[in-house]
Amino acid sequence: MASAPPPPYRLLGGRIPYVDGPLKVTGRAEYTDDIQRPGMLVGRVLRSPWPHARLRSIDVREARAVPGVHAVLTGERYPTPFGVLPITHDETAIAVDKARYIGDIIAAVAARDERTAEEALARVRCEIDSLPEHADPRMGVSGVSEPIQKRSLPGTNIQKEVVQHFGDVDEAFRAARYTARVRGTFAGVTHAFTEPLVTIAEATPDGRLTVWSATQVPHYLHRALSEVLGIPLHRIRVIKPEVGGGFGGKSDPLPHEIACAALAIETGRPVKILFDREDVFYTNHGRHPTQNDVRVAADAEGNLLAYDIEALIDGGAWSSFGTVTTYYNGVLAMGPYRIPNFRYRGRRVYTNKPPSGAMRAHGGTNIRHSVEVALDELAEAMGRDPFDLRAQNALAPGSTTVNEFRITSTSFLDCLNAVRSASGWREKFRALPYGRGVGLGCGFYISGSNSPIHFTPKMPQSTVHLKVDMDGGIAVHSMQADIGQGSNTLLAAIVAEVLGVDLERVHVQRVDSDVSPVDLGSYSSRVTFMMGNAARAAAEELKGKLLAAAAAIRERPVSDISVGHERFEVAGAPDLAVPFLDALHKAMETTGALTASGSYQTQPRGGSFKGAKAGTAPAYSFAAYVAEVEVDVETGVYRVETIWAGFDCGRPLNRLAVEGQIEGSIHMGLGQVMGESMSYRGTRLLNPSLLEYKIPMPQQMPRIEIHLVGADDPDGPFGAKEAGEGPLIATLPAVGNALYDAIGVRFTELPITPDRVLRGIDRRRSEGRAWKGQ
Amino acid sequence: MHLDPFELHRPTTVEEAVGLAHDLAGRTDFVAGGTDLLPNYKMHLNVRPHLIALEDIPELRGRSLARIGAMERLADIESDAALARVYPGLADAVGEVATPLVRSSGTVGGNLLVETRCFFFNQSLFWRSSLGYCLKADGDKCHVVPQKERCYATFSGDVAPVLLVLDAEVEVAGPSGRRRIPLAALYDATGDGIRRLTLAPGELLVAVHLPEGARGRRARYKKLRVRPSYDFPELGVAVAGRWDAGRVASMHLAVGGVETYPRRFDELTAPLEGCALSDTAVRGLAEAVMRKLRPVHNTFLLPDYRRRMVEVYVRRAIAEAREGAAE
Amino acid sequence: MPSRDALSFRLNGHPVELACEPARVLLDLLREDLRLTGTKRGCDLGTCGCCAVLVDGRPTLSCLTLARLVEGRAVDTIEGITPAQGLSPVQRAFVEHGATQCGFCTPGFIVTATALLRANPSPSRAEIERAISGNLCRCTGYAKIIEAIRAAAGAD
Ligand SMILES: Cc1cc2nc3c(=O)[nH]c(=O)nc-3n(C[C@H](O)[C@H](O)[C@H](O)COP(=O)(O)OP(=O)(O)OC[C@H]3O[C@@H](n4cnc5c(N)ncnc54)[C@H](O)[C@@H]3O)c2cc1C
Ligand code: SF4
Ligand code: FES
Ligand code: FES
Repeated sequence: MASAPPPPYRLLGGRIPYVDGPLKVTGRAEYTDDIQRPGMLVGRVLRSPWPHARLRSIDVREARAVPGVHAVLTGERYPTPFGVLPITHDETAIAVDKARYIGDIIAAVAARDERTAEEALARVRCEIDSLPEHADPRMGVSGVSEPIQKRSLPGTNIQKEVVQHFGDVDEAFRAARYTARVRGTFAGVTHAFTEPLVTIAEATPDGRLTVWSATQVPHYLHRALSEVLGIPLHRIRVIKPEVGGGFGGKSDPLPHEIACAALAIETGRPVKILFDREDVFYTNHGRHPTQNDVRVAADAEGNLLAYDIEALIDGGAWSSFGTVTTYYNGVLAMGPYRIPNFRYRGRRVYTNKPPSGAMRAHGGTNIRHSVEVALDELAEAMGRDPFDLRAQNALAPGSTTVNEFRITSTSFLDCLNAVRSASGWREKFRALPYGRGVGLGCGFYISGSNSPIHFTPKMPQSTVHLKVDMDGGIAVHSMQADIGQGSNTLLAAIVAEVLGVDLERVHVQRVDSDVSPVDLGSYSSRVTFMMGNAARAAAEELKGKLLAAAAAIRERPVSDISVGHERFEVAGAPDLAVPFLDALHKAMETTGALTASGSYQTQPRGGSFKGAKAGTAPAYSFAAYVAEVEVDVETGVYRVETIWAGFDCGRPLNRLAVEGQIEGSIHMGLGQVMGESMSYRGTRLLNPSLLEYKIPMPQQMPRIEIHLVGADDPDGPFGAKEAGEGPLIATLPAVGNALYDAIGVRFTELPITPDRVLRGIDRRRSEGRAWKGQ
Repeated sequence: MHLDPFELHRPTTVEEAVGLAHDLAGRTDFVAGGTDLLPNYKMHLNVRPHLIALEDIPELRGRSLARIGAMERLADIESDAALARVYPGLADAVGEVATPLVRSSGTVGGNLLVETRCFFFNQSLFWRSSLGYCLKADGDKCHVVPQKERCYATFSGDVAPVLLVLDAEVEVAGPSGRRRIPLAALYDATGDGIRRLTLAPGELLVAVHLPEGARGRRARYKKLRVRPSYDFPELGVAVAGRWDAGRVASMHLAVGGVETYPRRFDELTAPLEGCALSDTAVRGLAEAVMRKLRPVHNTFLLPDYRRRMVEVYVRRAIAEAREGAAE
Repeated sequence: MPSRDALSFRLNGHPVELACEPARVLLDLLREDLRLTGTKRGCDLGTCGCCAVLVDGRPTLSCLTLARLVEGRAVDTIEGITPAQGLSPVQRAFVEHGATQCGFCTPGFIVTATALLRANPSPSRAEIERAISGNLCRCTGYAKIIEAIRAAAGAD
């Protein structure tokens, strides 16, 4: 598939060091906890030690009497429920009638220091009735007498059920020559960003509330604060300082953020709630523990005929993004292959555990592992090479899936080709010695969500404002949230690219709802695509003004003027070029500082059936990864030695950042494969610490070889698509399938810990089934 | 996280430290590098109102082939080329402790006396309160083996097994003077995860002494853990052996990370002296060690798996020790 | 009542003296009392490395160091490691190689890498991996951090 050679850009497409790098390497970047306000109090929360309990009374009199305590709040003060999705508001700032998991917030205190706050919390007296606890989502699908939430399906703890059927799956399976089935089990995993959750709030006598918070979506926080506290949006100011990683875990408005604001209002003093690491684990909102059952069917020629998928998703105590999760666990299986018949039944069930929510590659990760393992099985049953099977079924550019996803650009075949040759696949597959293997896993992910979560009032998903004054510095305002992915750098680079100026002229301003135009923040891999388009539009508007000014200076038609480097070129007259500042000052003569605004709005997409919007995106990313592993067959310990990552993010606009996202994604994906797990004994989280939650170490990282093969996407800014989440997905099945090649054991349960590897080897041996001669 | 208030004492001699501990009987802890004690204190585990810092006591320092002061930092031992040459197993073990940043403060004394560990103990006050406390801190039952009135918290120090197979001795100072005991005698084999040491309250570890005879023993240490850094041992096997014309001249083996104390298996290794160690004999030994150990489910990896790994790790440690000896 | 004796030590090359109660760790002293916020708090339990500082030149976890025990010693934080103008070679390499994403782990890595290169000016890849294995990074997969340290060491 030859695509036209991409047009060269001055900055975009290169390796652009992060604009905030110098601040970060010197410790000068300011995170929320670095902010100190005069007279600031320490806020702490009291957590429920009960998995499920009715709160009969909470007596805080003794707690309030502790010297140095300024306020103690319980749930009834601000009982308005909220939640990230407008349709599933089931969270409260502080538990109101029930505590729903061990760790649920049941009171909050503001005091002069941490010790005093803790002492006060120790004096809160609760009377409760214990309620039956629900640990296993399988038990929540029927016969539930005391549901965790009011809004579940009657008699169950089912928060959301999705049933979809396209084509005729039963008929397809009847007609199929080959079928494969995988029943997957996935432990919950969590974001484990390094910066703990932290919020500062301050209510001032002018009737305004200012909130600084470690958030990915300042706008959703803004709305939730307004709804729960009953303060109009314009009297609340949300500021996002630097954020130390999010990965989805800072995208919901979180209870402590609202509780902190409530304490600030109550005390009239600034209040900071800084979470301990353990608190962060209880807040969770990570990837859902999931069980899925995936059946795939193909005809004699290897054409995929159908998927039949069921998923049972453990939601924890709240909804969070769960409705979306429930859809995604089915519909994100719809790429990168043509699937003519598709049936899905997904159920997300409340349990008395810390809520699950959105985590990097939300909804697309667990299902992808099971699907790709099933395809590996299918290829084996057919005696086909896994690459060939996938290539034969690849979605074509410009196609539409049965559930009406519109696929614009796809370079999936180039991903496959790149890693097949780079990895030496032909020589290695099924040919390496016992204990060593290669595996292929592929990926597919949304590049932004077509339907914004808050669509009333109707407005663009992204807006960018620019302001240039006589100094020639370009201030950029946007409520997109750089949480480390480098979006500020990209924003600056796009503006500089369009205007032809040096990057150092452009200053991306801190997110501040008082001055930044609304943008839906950093989640669902939307930033590059949506903010990028908005930034480009804003810069184009500014460019128009500057071109006109340059034309006026030289008394030439605007069509003769073009953007040069730090100047405007005049057609056929190189020495008449107008310096940037001259054009700027000319343009300012009538208006003063120049301003411009650009926005991006998605086009309506998707069918008209129920849930048709779920998973629709303006573009999709594609991936094909090969992993090579070495297994110590005596201990079950394995090492992933190399990952060849073929990725289609359209045009990579900042290669440094795209590589960084891929490397970081692989690390996170590897964690989920190798050992990360929210381990429970019943409803009790056993490992709320970075010591017992096993994030991989540098020595465990494979060599990573990245192949960026994307062609320009027609709608992406400068041809770009997402690279922040999709790169995680293929990691899991690539390693899983490589383990199969190494030892002949299918792993459908994650994480794949050494003891599981060993049990798999035992099982195969005891069944007398040799593999690679062993 | 905050520490409960305590008084900090900074004695400059062993006698002063021991005297303070005696005077403050039962209300004090020694703090060396603090890398084990302070996390426990932050979790409000068995905190005491007085801490005696060992920082300023010169006698607790110093490294030679014969003596390592209790306050010697793991990072310094790790980078001591002379020690590593003579005691490769010690270098293995020290380099496997925690992380480089922890080793930079952590001491060998603190490592030998590191608090035993358990999933139900190494948790915050809130966590423990929600489950109900356990025998080892504030409570009266065990969540691992509820039917027994005993604590199964695991001894998780990496350095002790190697020092055991090197026949190290420790110098202990107490109110009634000094004594020098075999390292093995520091640990209470008849105790449990709580009564794990033979030290009398307020007794201080002064130094580790390595006998002349340890120098020719090529020891090795093999550690099982999930990640190559951070994680405490889920099993640690140390082996030291000397071979003479293909026959075992001496062999010592110790295992940590499984029971409440690091355990030597002389009764299994002594009979091997004088034997040519065949693969079958090694396997027999490894299985015998495995049969003697009963891990419980209070760490990350499952007990069955840890137990099975005993056999593998013993074999591997012996193979490596043998290779080392052949060099 | 805990005594609040004066504590004095050298901080980033300059003597400081301030009150400090015994039950206080160096991290709290630096961030809260001295307002040096470049040193980060990621876990408070020795499990992330974000809080690393140099004590007498050794990389040290400030969350597990009793503040009173740095009496008379030299403490260098990320602020002290940073030259008055510009960046140190390690810092420059981190910027050029994109070794910062969210940046929250970065000061700890800079401290560790600085100490490593002082002790071992040309470490191997394996030595670098080992040296940074007490610093957690959730963003980068360590690839660009290792690249940056190699570059700072002149390995490429
Ligand atoms: C994240 C993390 C990971 C870890 N991983 C490991 C690991 O993998 N392997 C491992 O072995 N350890 C590990 N540790 C535990 C600990 O860091 C080490 O064992 C270290 O060597 C302890 O030494 P210290 O000087 O810091 O001890 P301290 O914390 O100062 O003391 C530990 C105990 O010994 C007592 N003590 C110390 N010195 C003396 C003395 N001279 N006389 C009498 N009593 C004394 C103290 O009172 C205390 O009870 C880890 C710690 C952390 C924080
Ligand atoms: S083994 Fe039992 S008594 Fe000992 S620490 Fe664990 S739970 Fe407590
Ligand atoms: S804050 Fe010190 S190691 Fe995490
Ligand atoms: S850059 Fe975010 S944790 Fe390292």
